[in-house]
Amino acid sequence: MAVAVARHGAGLGMGRMLRQSLLHRRGRSLSALLAMTVSAAVATALLTLYSDLDAKLHREFRSFGANVVVTAGAAAGQGSGSGLAAGQANYLPADVVARVQTAAGAEAVVAPFAYAVATTDRGTPVVVAGMEVGATRRLDRWWKVDAWPAGQEALLGQKAANFVADERAVKLTYAGRVAELKGVGRLRTGAEEDSRIYMPMAAFTAWTGVGRSVVEVQVPGGAARVEAAVGRMRAALPGMTVAPVRALVEGESRIVDRTRALMFGSVVLIALTVGVSVLATMSASVLERRRDFALMRALGGSEGQLLRLFLLEGLLLAGAGVGLGWVLGSGVAWAIGELNFETGTMPRVAVVPLVLGLNLMIAAFAAVLPARVLRGLEPAALLKGE
Amino acid sequence: MFFRLLWESFRRQRRRKLLAGVAILLGTTAVTAMLALATTIGDRIHRELAVYGANIVITPAAAGLEVNVGGVEVRPATGSAYLKESDLEKLQGIFWANNITGVSPELRFTVGLAGHAEEQKIPAVGLWFGHVFGTGTGTTGAPAMHPLWRLVGAWPSAPDQGVAGRVLAEGLGLKAGDTLALRDGSSTRVIRVSGVVDADEETNGELLLPLATAQVLAGLPGAVSMVEVSAKTRPEDAFARKDPAALSPKDRDVWYCRPYANSIAFQIREAIPGADAEQVRRVEQSEGNVLKRISGLMWLVSLAALVAAGFAVSAAMATAILERRGEIGLLRSLGASRGAVAALFYVEAAVLAVVAGSLGFLAGSGLAAWLGARIFPGESAGAVLNPVLLPVVVGLALLVAVAGSTPAIRQALRMEPSAVLRAGA
Repeated sequence: MAVAVARHGAGLGMGRMLRQSLLHRRGRSLSALLAMTVSAAVATALLTLYSDLDAKLHREFRSFGANVVVTAGAAAGQGSGSGLAAGQANYLPADVVARVQTAAGAEAVVAPFAYAVATTDRGTPVVVAGMEVGATRRLDRWWKVDAWPAGQEALLGQKAANFVADERAVKLTYAGRVAELKGVGRLRTGAEEDSRIYMPMAAFTAWTGVGRSVVEVQVPGGAARVEAAVGRMRAALPGMTVAPVRALVEGESRIVDRTRALMFGSVVLIALTVGVSVLATMSASVLERRRDFALMRALGGSEGQLLRLFLLEGLLLAGAGVGLGWVLGSGVAWAIGELNFETGTMPRVAVVPLVLGLNLMIAAFAAVLPARVLRGLEPAALLKGE
Repeated sequence: MFFRLLWESFRRQRRRKLLAGVAILLGTTAVTAMLALATTIGDRIHRELAVYGANIVITPAAAGLEVNVGGVEVRPATGSAYLKESDLEKLQGIFWANNITGVSPELRFTVGLAGHAEEQKIPAVGLWFGHVFGTGTGTTGAPAMHPLWRLVGAWPSAPDQGVAGRVLAEGLGLKAGDTLALRDGSSTRVIRVSGVVDADEETNGELLLPLATAQVLAGLPGAVSMVEVSAKTRPEDAFARKDPAALSPKDRDVWYCRPYANSIAFQIREAIPGADAEQVRRVEQSEGNVLKRISGLMWLVSLAALVAAGFAVSAAMATAILERRGEIGLLRSLGASRGAVAALFYVEAAVLAVVAGSLGFLAGSGLAAWLGARIFPGESAGAVLNPVLLPVVVGLALLVAVAGSTPAIRQALRMEPSAVLRAGA
């Protein structure tokens, strides 16, 4: 009789046992599924955020402005005495902007500047700068301006504004030529720009004939990308000085690296917490069914069979959990991105293998650990309720 | 009786208690560590951002226009005005004095080289090097404000020492240990070059001298031409941009008492007569932006950790109680009221939460300190334990443990004791 039952038991399809095991106590299966879903969702959300972190942070650092400066020739090479006005005579070639843009890449912001020392109607010397308004606006986002100039208009640095007679109608003299500009307002930066007068490049060139002396470039990305762009620019712009702004490039890399390390630590910490808790919940649910397993053993089920059942059950739940958790976690990552960086983080399929691996590992552990405990138990004793 | 039940429950069911306890311990560890990191991340990133330089500059209000391009003076400034070095002490009296983390005054001038023609002069700048400022033990000055300056040699430690900028050193063939004879009125003053520094474009062409020496050589006792200030600020919002003069007295007080760069600059202008303080927008605006994003990220991730840990803990609590349905049935059939059973389980949960939560607080604080030291090396480690977090974390653990137990307890109490006992038999 016992042999017959055992045979029958062995013949009982694994699929059917699995189905019954999952459906019989639906509440417990659901709570296990929920646990696996949460662990998968947390892992997905954090990994998605983590893999997108560099791009997001580097984008924030764009607000620091130019990280590469192109100037004409070795102006700074010799001991720069106080009377270095001679360096002014070194202009960049007319097509420099296009060449810099090509070398630095389409994503780079390229803003040329030209400088001349003019005299205000009060007889004060003042630096007048020509700029490409559109590029400057994108590059120097911290500038606080009342309005951007166009045509024959000028933007007055807040200190420079104190040295002109009429802020609305600015009269400047350069090399005997007078320019009358309509002042559109003041510029505030808290730095040397405050002492200058800015005007559109076209009007500046027509008035002074002075060429571009500086091209400020912002190369997006970290130190490696900036260095690569500097290399390309040096090759493409012979005779010009291409210098990265070291403080910006190094500072950015340091902060991005450290934030990433911090996030990595957090990801590991949270994944570990959730993983261990889920492990505990799952293995408790296996231990709770000691009596069922004792019965199966008594009916002739082998240890290997039981282990397979646990494993299959766990893996099935883990797989389903990953499916649900990926959707949920991607949603959370998107929301965090939207809330914090104002651009959502797009779901990433690339994190699925890792999340799946993590969840399967938890499920396998949750099945194997209690199975080891159960192995030591005698079916008869268990069934008696000891 | 109640306490005996409680005691025996902990004594005899160690495995189950361990499971729930470990879940709470891990959860509180993660939450404590995340919160400890999130609360300190602002200061840490602020320190990292110091490489971008000062966020507030103080200049003499009456100064003429600087006529320079790319840090190089094209024409000497028209009309000179200076601030008084002694006035800098007043920075400690402003409302947000404690937020000022660095002060670096400078005096730019030119100095003649002895043995050369009268008109041959080199640019020089007087700076603080490791100056003791304020009542604190900390020192401040140019090197502290510019962590990316690369020095070969040593910073000046005596009045007759100086550091040459890289370009100046190349031009004059100077290296650390050399001496340089400078004109001091009609006499000569010998400066020993203690190092060569690779700094920014302007400073590379200059001789860096202690401020007091510079004031003597320039003939401007007690004068400084500009002061850089690094201050911890709150990122600017719409309210920060308001003109204080246009605000109502009440709003003006609020504006004044918030550490915006604008209000700190305003207070500096108030404190130092004849000074113009302005936020360096490139640094301040961008720093605020980066700071806001990174700390925002940490807070959101902490929140995610909180939710995940809360979930894990409540799941573990629920499992621990559901396993004990038989016990509940027995207690009920022996005459215990529902309230008494619930009280027993809640107190158990609370004891677990407090004990495991406190341990988790310790472990999490340690973990945060370790992680912080690993990621941000070389910074003075603050207090490892943040006592404010203890009640927060233990309170959260209590809340989650009790809330997590509630559905399981309710479910167990709803069942008929006899049915439970039979099912468990």
